[in-house]
Amino acid sequence: MPSRVIELVVNGRHRELLVRPGMSLLGALRDGLGLTGAKRGCADGSCGACTVMLDGKPVLSCLVAVETVDGAAVRTVEGMAPDGPLTELQQAFVDGFATQCGFCTPGILMAAEALLAENPEPTREEVVRAISGSVCRCTGYTAIVDAILAGAEARRGVTV
Amino acid sequence: MLETVHVPPSVDEALLALRDGAVLMGGGTTVMPQVNTMPVEFTEVVSLRRAGISGIEVVDAVATVGATTTIAEIGADERLAFLRPVVQTFASPPLRNLATIGGNLFVPQPGGDFGVCLLALDATVAVAGPAGTRDVGVAEVLEHGVAAGEVVTAVSFPVPADGTFFYRKAMRRRYNSAAIVSVAAVLVREAGVVRSARVVLGGAGSRPVRAKAAEHALVGKPLDDASVAAAATAALADATTFDDAFASAWYRSRVLPVHFRRALLGG
Repeated sequence: MPSRVIELVVNGRHRELLVRPGMSLLGALRDGLGLTGAKRGCADGSCGACTVMLDGKPVLSCLVAVETVDGAAVRTVEGMAPDGPLTELQQAFVDGFATQCGFCTPGILMAAEALLAENPEPTREEVVRAISGSVCRCTGYTAIVDAILAGAEARRGVTV
Repeated sequence: MLETVHVPPSVDEALLALRDGAVLMGGGTTVMPQVNTMPVEFTEVVSLRRAGISGIEVVDAVATVGATTTIAEIGADERLAFLRPVVQTFASPPLRNLATIGGNLFVPQPGGDFGVCLLALDATVAVAGPAGTRDVGVAEVLEHGVAAGEVVTAVSFPVPADGTFFYRKAMRRRYNSAAIVSVAAVLVREAGVVRSARVVLGGAGSRPVRAKAAEHALVGKPLDDASVAAAATAALADATTFDDAFASAWYRSRVLPVHFRRALLGG
């Protein structure tokens, strides 16, 4: 069967794109729409680098056949602060040196956003659990967990 | 090479789409890695995402869970709170938003944590096929799968009484890892003595293994250090441990009695 036209609402914007059979949501975002924030790491669900929000929930976009989610709402790292200043969470990553190569960062930001949406005041353990699907080979995670806790505090209006 | 992804809006249409040997896909967590990384031999995939078979019902203490209900949805349901220890040690939050309970029946060990639990719960599987629907024991599905052209539409199981369900999964990491070994059990006690026992082992065979020798060692005894130690040793006779990237067969056999004891007595 030939390629099909799929509709998605990506970062609040209605998009149409042509997809080949079996194309992943990740492939559609990166190759179809030029949104290269979500990364292709393992392609089998082990690394978390492709994590995006699908209808409000974090998922591994490499494991979603895009034809099965026609019409869905998708949020990627590009939608976090499209024009304005960085979000509290992003700023906390910058301030806390929570990135090195940066490959895992978009996926971890999405997993952390999902956590804070449900639980604005997480414990350290809850942060670790929330990002347990994301592999970082640079930082050793400590700075990332610290940054998520700091970002959550900033979002709650706590001054440190 | 993949030529078509069907997204049927009903089970009936899924069955029609399956007639020509298409591969079934639930949450995509086992099919998509193949599509992403290798030249697959199948040409058609049938996704059940929109087939209308997700959702949880609990009636008279019997839970019926639609096949495409995600692991995260199960974890969020208060009525199935006894399964939280299973959900919280199952992969990662983003994966739990995709993986389905029906699909998990077909994941070989040491994945497939829900297969281990559903066998302990003596679940029944609803299967739809070209000739109609049938109910089949989960043991049968775990061992032999379902026929080509059939679709698992739901699983149902009695919700165990408080304090009768036991679960432990030993992992290489605290989160997001397949099992080294896992133990799920439903133990009913009366007057301080184990009256009935269903004990299932994960990581102890290519499929979940019913630990009948361990069950036999428990029934009629109090649930204490001595009886559990005897049952934990007996469980080794039920296990066929194996080597993989997570652990060696030697290691699995070495630690199985330890985690068996922790599953039933804590610690």
